[in-house]
Amino acid sequence: MIHVKTRDLVLPGQLIAEGKYKTRDGAFREGENIFSSVVGLADVREETISVIPLGGQYIPRVGDMVIGVVIDDHRAGWIVDIKSTYTATLLVSDFLRQKVDLFKEDISKILTIGDVVAVEVRSVDERMDILLEGGRPGLGRIKSGKMIEISPMKVPRVLGKKGSMFDVIQNGTGCKLMVGRNGRIMVWGKDEGMINNAVEAIFTIEREAHTSGLTDRIRLMLEKMKSEVN
Amino acid sequence: MDKPEKLMIDGKRLDGRSPEELRPFKIVAGALERADGSAYVEMGNNKVFAAVYGPREMHPRHHALPDQAVLRCRYNMAPFSVDDRKKPGPNRRSIEISKVTREALEPVMFLELYPRSVIDVFVEVLQADAGTRTAGINAASVALADAGIPMKDLVSSVAVGKVEETVVMDLFKEEDQWGTTDMPIAMIPRKKAITLLQMDGHFTEEEFKYALDLASRGCTQIYEAQRQALKEKYTMRKEEE
Repeated sequence: MIHVKTRDLVLPGQLIAEGKYKTRDGAFREGENIFSSVVGLADVREETISVIPLGGQYIPRVGDMVIGVVIDDHRAGWIVDIKSTYTATLLVSDFLRQKVDLFKEDISKILTIGDVVAVEVRSVDERMDILLEGGRPGLGRIKSGKMIEISPMKVPRVLGKKGSMFDVIQNGTGCKLMVGRNGRIMVWGKDEGMINNAVEAIFTIEREAHTSGLTDRIRLMLEKMKSEVN
Repeated sequence: MDKPEKLMIDGKRLDGRSPEELRPFKIVAGALERADGSAYVEMGNNKVFAAVYGPREMHPRHHALPDQAVLRCRYNMAPFSVDDRKKPGPNRRSIEISKVTREALEPVMFLELYPRSVIDVFVEVLQADAGTRTAGINAASVALADAGIPMKDLVSSVAVGKVEETVVMDLFKEEDQWGTTDMPIAMIPRKKAITLLQMDGHFTEEEFKYALDLASRGCTQIYEAQRQALKEKYTMRKEEE
């Protein structure tokens, strides 16, 4: 028995379903009953029930691409802030993908405090010790660009279905974007005005993430902003 | 303030309520801009803010637990919240209330999801009129939900007591001061499980049972308002454009 529809707003302690469903994030089981544990939108599938939270911290998962800021270094790597409850560790060997003689080389020449890196979550253990990696193409140190932060729960909306929203912003502004799962977004562009348009669009998406027809509205908004400049 | 001659007149209380009536109350979710989650609660003349931060890294580090998050609550009264200025800073009473607030909220939380971290709850009383701990718990539980922290249920809380041999719900200041009994209760409404029960004064067994039942009814009313407050915050956003 299911008591709510998919995408209904549910609250902590609200009964979602009864029966043999699997529960995932945002839902929990007590006997036969399945309840929501967060404020969010119910996601009822054939076999599993979960709730997409509307707020909260970013919790890292293996394989997530995130944008981090180096906040400290130690002998064999760096401590990276990934806008989560937990800081993450990036080891030299995971960043360069080659052997580094730590006795001879000074790793602060590779990355230093304040540097921004695009990295992937390599592992998360039960203590929430997080290891990152940054050696593959597309990852690594970010040398320039504008970084903005939004709520990590709104990231799927900035990307859109199959990246549709992402394409709209890129095409509408001529800027290049990089969206980290942790809610940090890099924007690169030649024209300062266009960068600001892209940033404006992203903040609009964050504010109106729950509304429908957003992709088209953003497209129109960007076209309008473009014509106002010319 | 002098003791009023009577606290009950013709079965009505001094503020015109019947014995089993709550004071008018108001709950707003997300009242503070910079907190991860927040709530504002008015219960009668009580005005209380709750702010939640985290889960975040624990400082000092050695207070963190390796396998679960720590819930840290602080109940504080503003110096101007009562008639005579309250000396700022924690005192015996506020430390106790901080502790019972934490223990009232802990049973509904999934603290094991966030090892090594801390969830901070701050309850600030701007105006006090008896029953601030219950208002604080109501606010804190909405603020926790607003912060996106997983919980088994919300926690609702209300005080019951005895005034001139009548069991009454949700005492206000005069009743608290001159009445015979004050019993704040916090509940997990879905399971009717009690997470806070303190009592100052006396009840007979029958009175106690009736008082519990009364509190349970009050909590259910507050629970609905808490849910409504959370719903409003997120549906209001939908209509904002």
